Amino acid sequence: MSDRQRNLFVLLLVAGLLIASAIVIATKPTKLGLDLQGGVELVYEVQARAGQPPPTNESIQRAIEVMRERVDQLGVAEPEIQQSGKDQINVALPDVANLQEAIKQVGTVAQLAFYDWEVNVIGPDGKPAPDDPQVTGGPAAGDASSPGALSLYEALLRAEKRPAKIEPDNSRDGSLFYAVDHKQKKAFGLGEESRAEALENVPPALREQADVIEVKPDTVVVRAENRDGTAKPDKWFVLKDDVALEGKELKDPEQAFDQGPGGSGQPIVTFQFSDKGRKTWEQVTKQIAERGRNSVGILPGQSADQVFQHFAIVLDNELVSTPYIDFNQNPEGIDARNGSQIEGGFTIQSAQELANVLKTGALPVQLELISSSQVSATLGQQALNQGLVAGIAGFVIVALFLLVFYRVLGLIAVLALGIYGVYFFALIKAIPVVLTLPGIAGLILTLGVAADANIVIFERVKEEVRGGRSILSGIATGYKKGLTAIIDANVVTIMVAFILFVLATAGVKGFALTLGLGVIVSLFTAVLATQAILGALGKSRLIGKPSALGASKPKGDRLRLDYMGYSRWFFTASGVILLICALALGSKGINFGIDFESGTRINVALEQRVDENAVREVLAQEGLADAKIQRITGTEEAKGAAQFQISTDNLRPAEVTSVTNALETEYDLADTPSSTSIGPTFGQTVANSAVIAIIASLLVISAYIALRFEPKYAVPVLIAVMHDILITAGIYALVGLEVSTATVAALLTVLGFSLYDTIIVFDRIRENVPRMPRAAFSQIVNRSLSEVIVRSLATSFCSGLPVLALLLFGGETLQAFAFALLIGTISGTYSSVFIAGPVLTAWKEREAIYRRRRASIALDNGGLVPAYATGAASEQVDVKAGRRLNRGQRLTAPDDPEKVSREEFDDMVRDLHADPAARRTAVAEPPKRVTKPAKPAPKPEAPERDESADALPEDTVMPRRAGSDGAGKPKRSSSAAAKRRGKHGRHR
Amino acid sequence: MGALAWTMMGLALWHFTIFLPDRCWGGIIGAFLGCVFGAVLFGLAIHGLSVPGQEATDLATTLEGVPGALLGYGFFYLLGVRREAAQADEELPAT
Repeated sequence: MSDRQRNLFVLLLVAGLLIASAIVIATKPTKLGLDLQGGVELVYEVQARAGQPPPTNESIQRAIEVMRERVDQLGVAEPEIQQSGKDQINVALPDVANLQEAIKQVGTVAQLAFYDWEVNVIGPDGKPAPDDPQVTGGPAAGDASSPGALSLYEALLRAEKRPAKIEPDNSRDGSLFYAVDHKQKKAFGLGEESRAEALENVPPALREQADVIEVKPDTVVVRAENRDGTAKPDKWFVLKDDVALEGKELKDPEQAFDQGPGGSGQPIVTFQFSDKGRKTWEQVTKQIAERGRNSVGILPGQSADQVFQHFAIVLDNELVSTPYIDFNQNPEGIDARNGSQIEGGFTIQSAQELANVLKTGALPVQLELISSSQVSATLGQQALNQGLVAGIAGFVIVALFLLVFYRVLGLIAVLALGIYGVYFFALIKAIPVVLTLPGIAGLILTLGVAADANIVIFERVKEEVRGGRSILSGIATGYKKGLTAIIDANVVTIMVAFILFVLATAGVKGFALTLGLGVIVSLFTAVLATQAILGALGKSRLIGKPSALGASKPKGDRLRLDYMGYSRWFFTASGVILLICALALGSKGINFGIDFESGTRINVALEQRVDENAVREVLAQEGLADAKIQRITGTEEAKGAAQFQISTDNLRPAEVTSVTNALETEYDLADTPSSTSIGPTFGQTVANSAVIAIIASLLVISAYIALRFEPKYAVPVLIAVMHDILITAGIYALVGLEVSTATVAALLTVLGFSLYDTIIVFDRIRENVPRMPRAAFSQIVNRSLSEVIVRSLATSFCSGLPVLALLLFGGETLQAFAFALLIGTISGTYSSVFIAGPVLTAWKEREAIYRRRRASIALDNGGLVPAYATGAASEQVDVKAGRRLNRGQRLTAPDDPEKVSREEFDDMVRDLHADPAARRTAVAEPPKRVTKPAKPAPKPEAPERDESADALPEDTVMPRRAGSDGAGKPKRSSSAAAKRRGKHGRHR
Repeated sequence: MGALAWTMMGLALWHFTIFLPDRCWGGIIGAFLGCVFGAVLFGLAIHGLSVPGQEATDLATTLEGVPGALLGYGFFYLLGVRREAAQADEELPAT
């Protein structure tokens, strides 16, 4: 395929994808995360029930299914319920405003147990009385109207008398504690695991006179059944805790209709059993049936249905249903091979509810809420607006920079950025990716990454054009040479994004996903699309002059500094900064946010214009006098006259509601409050995952660099990254900014950016090493840095522009994130040039080959090693154009003479001799010792390398002709140029 | 947090070793390892192999990294000097 055909194909592909993207964008909705549309997010940790094996993946998935069904009942549109990490479940409920209700509905996974009723109900003497309807309730078994039903206080007094007994069929093996007030004959709470917790349920005013009753193992107090569907009755039974069947033995509870032979067509609840459950169920129901049959005639005048015996379904100490076993129909108990059913008295809704309860209670796991957050719709909209403004601003300033700096090339890059934006948005809709605030940050950052790829190539193109190539040739060569660095740098960014996605918590995942996707899409648009556009424009007047590419004046000399010589001063600067950071870290510490430290943060908007003290007074009444109260300013879109952020220790959802209710009563809430509660477990998980993500990123990246470059290149990269991360962390300590999960994401992004820059620098060093076979390593690095410094500064500046947009327009959340990124980007640029380069130099110069070179150069220069490689007349030596290394080839391997054909070489020689000014391909002029003129042509086969001579046969010297000042623009003879036309990009 | 403070102090001090003669074993990387690991190991040693947490880290904790970094650097420097001496001995002509 010719270049023209290839360009045409790529352009058609770009156009086709644009049309497809437009269709996707027009037809598919955008899925917004909770932080952008408001709602409730809950994070649960799955734990094993007492005495049960650890949760398996299957049990977690089952828990998720149950939760999804319960969420569906809430009527929530597009809920997101997914497993996060090994043992966590994330529940996102858009547009839900009541946090406490959501937790109650979704997260309460109750414990289900079946009891043989009559033999377990405890009578006044503390023992079961199966034959006494005054105790069991007879036909009214389990109902609040049963004569055996007691108030909670009375039930507790009865339960207190029972001795502790630990048996395998107990539902729990510890005591439960209830606070009571003997004077008022009242009980508080529904049983806690400690006396202290029980007392917390008593209002402070009554706490002194309160007592605590212990209900020991083998006894449970259960609430009477709520048959009429109204409020839960305050009637209770005391049961011996001999569980006949555990909920986990149940399978597939469903609401169905009684449509079997002789069926009533009424709603029923069906369920299946596990093998063990089936046997137990048959055995228990047989015993119940037999006992019922034997009870006939014990009391005079009793009919059979009056002596039917019952089993009780108890869910978290509340009676759900108390069905009876008809011994006439099931004299041998219930054959459970085909499952079982509960019938009678159900409406469809009540049958569905019972089925759901059975499903929930059948879970073999326990769920602990470790994090909850609620975002009001207003704040979500505000965050979305801020994200969009930051995105647009980021695009505009990156576009302006590209246009000013690269002119026509910049215009093409801006076009590519536009295409990138369309593709990326379509991809987000098509997958679909839930767009969160960190996700938008990732999107904005990828604008910088996409522009960076163009800058790397454009700087190469400019170099080539300034070096004397034609525009077309310069473009082709620039793309060819720039691609290696771009791929290396982007692979590293993708690796970081992948590691973040796998290891990080939910909020950071969104960022990682958009960053990773963005980098992949940007590779296509920034490399393939722009090359095709430029290729198609190749002969147009638009890019006919170097000035159109911004390549009119060589600017390299202005930045030809002795980077290695100055490095000690830059080291000193870094050392001082790190010293200050270390002292700040020690004296001030790092301000970890609630993501790590655990706690609750409530954002409220009040209708009344009040100050912090007024809010504190209300909080003090709630026992939160120590809460940190901060007035929020600068949120014009927020409702109300005053907005506050309240930070406290971790509060339970009920306590959060209590606080907001108190504020509502005093000062009227202008909007639904937003709150986030992070438990200590979640904070620890976040911290651990962050550390693991950083270590994993460093390991993977080191391995990649060691493979792509050489192992010695990996160490300075790691030191530079360490330098950047520690400086960013230190500056956070210095300024006291809060560290959140977003900061961790920013740190990992800094890691990626820092590597990007270092790889750009190292790529040029790698390229120059074989091209400067006589130079000291410091000279190679100086040369490389002088060549890439503009590119490095431009890419960093370009990466920094979207970050700046985030900082200026991104709102509170994104600003904190952007600050870390800004520090990291600046530090990353600096460290890749002034830390990584010098460290590599110092280490490499200890190698024998570079020691010999250095000694030789010093010998020729009166004991000094010049900053840049110099030739016989103490002039700077130009280097040969590089060649691309094949995989696995040594960096210092000699050039293969076959890469340039004899005919091409002869052309080149004729070109050079025809034009006295031509020194474009003059190469490594050796030190003074070399006095021979240039060899006419290299030998076609690669000779063996002579390490001691440290010079290679292709080090052909092209001595300058008399009268040539070396600054003239190279020219070609027309015949040679004509022959070489169409061979642009060939390294010479 | 203590480990972070020691590492930061070790890294900070390493930057100043560029003014010293490059005689460490492993060169600049040896100096880096000496300073960073020296600071951390010394800190661990004086804290009984435990790392101070966020609350327990103060200015003194950070400064504990200084002697560790210097000792670590000194260790690698001595190793380098000894190796140089050994190499010089090997290069002497046999008499």
